[in-house]
Amino acid sequence: MQFSTGSANLRRVYSFLGFALITLQIISCSAETSPPPKYLRWVGDIAFDPKTDKKDFHLCTPEDIKQYHNFAFGFLYKGEKIALEQEIRSQYKAETAAAQSGWLRIRFIVNCKGETDRFRIIGMDENRKPVTFDNSISDQLLRITKNLQGWLILPDQNAPNDYYMYLIFKLDNGKLKEIMP
Amino acid sequence: MKLTITILTFISIFSLSIQAQNCNFYLLEGDTCQYEACKIAEPRNIHYQYSKEYQEICDEAIVRCPDYAPAYSHKSTAYLKSGDFVTWEYLMGKAVDLAPKDYLGYRGWCRYSFFLDYQGAIDDLERLESLIGFETGYSAEADYHLQVARALCYKGLGNKEKAISILEDYFEKSNGDGRLYNYLHLGVLYLEIGQIAKAKTCMEKQLTINPLAEAHYYMAMIFKAENDLPSVKSQLKLAKSQYEAGLRMRHDYTHHMDKVYLVQIDNALGADF
Repeated sequence: MQFSTGSANLRRVYSFLGFALITLQIISCSAETSPPPKYLRWVGDIAFDPKTDKKDFHLCTPEDIKQYHNFAFGFLYKGEKIALEQEIRSQYKAETAAAQSGWLRIRFIVNCKGETDRFRIIGMDENRKPVTFDNSISDQLLRITKNLQGWLILPDQNAPNDYYMYLIFKLDNGKLKEIMP
Repeated sequence: MKLTITILTFISIFSLSIQAQNCNFYLLEGDTCQYEACKIAEPRNIHYQYSKEYQEICDEAIVRCPDYAPAYSHKSTAYLKSGDFVTWEYLMGKAVDLAPKDYLGYRGWCRYSFFLDYQGAIDDLERLESLIGFETGYSAEADYHLQVARALCYKGLGNKEKAISILEDYFEKSNGDGRLYNYLHLGVLYLEIGQIAKAKTCMEKQLTINPLAEAHYYMAMIFKAENDLPSVKSQLKLAKSQYEAGLRMRHDYTHHMDKVYLVQIDNALGADF
């Protein structure tokens, strides 16, 4: 009887432990494999935002915006990357920038006329963690990037394309160290 | 046409058999979790890397087996190419944590070539070397041995002596691997620290193996250091013609270290040496 009672108790303990384990597993699974995010058509797509984007920014191929590297033409800027770097470096004022370090990316669209819009910013600190850069850096780099006039049209056999482009700025204490790609 | 179809069919069958072999590897190891994830991930290849479908297939593989490192790496590629370093670092961090020997070299290379994260790349490549030894493998495009990439990262940090030391050691151990740009990089390093004779030897080898516009340009700078002005001009003219013919350092996604631009060649041609 004692054995029987003990056995019933043990069963209750095992039942509880089993339930607890399954619950823990569900919790840990949901933590490790969170539901897949909702994806846009392509990674990096930039949807129109009426709060920030120009309403009259014309796209020739809005359903098929390419990536700058799709046709292996390299860096499409008048005078090549060296000209772009000179333009940016001549305008960037490190002395007015916050002493932040890391990487700042500005992604945007170059349309079929070589015009730009839909600028979006992300940042990462020197420990490779997401960060929002101080306005003294991000506003400055955004203004300079918006003013760049040398983007070339991505050619195609049929017609000019719209394409996504990005610039990455590597910063060290507010100083502009590198520009990519 | 028939030949093309035959070749494409052969390549398709060959590719599929490689994929099948890859998944079977997990089965042979008794790892059904990763085997099943691998099988789930296989159809991703019919989709564009940037596409929703590609990403969702990889997500399914991860849900099936969260320890399946390749799925994180597959997912990361579109983020790398679109410059989203935040998501890319997160995904590659997962892959490296799960399979460091498989992914440290790749992450190190990408950190260097896409983000000029010299220190991050050195940390990865040296950790890999501590795990598997000197033979750390090649870059994703196979243009560079990862020891050469490590040397270039030290140059990026300003430590040219260390960069030279790594390259000299690599050339010795690889029996003078003259892959694409190797001698050019070492020659430029020697030129920058004023070791002109060594720079010239390297650039001569580079010109023999791969006569890029950059090699002629730097050879012109070497002749300038030797005060051989007629040779400066002739090398610069060769640099310009090679550049215009497309024989220059090229990268589909970013730019190589020591690349020279047309305006630099033109300015040097117009300079009064």
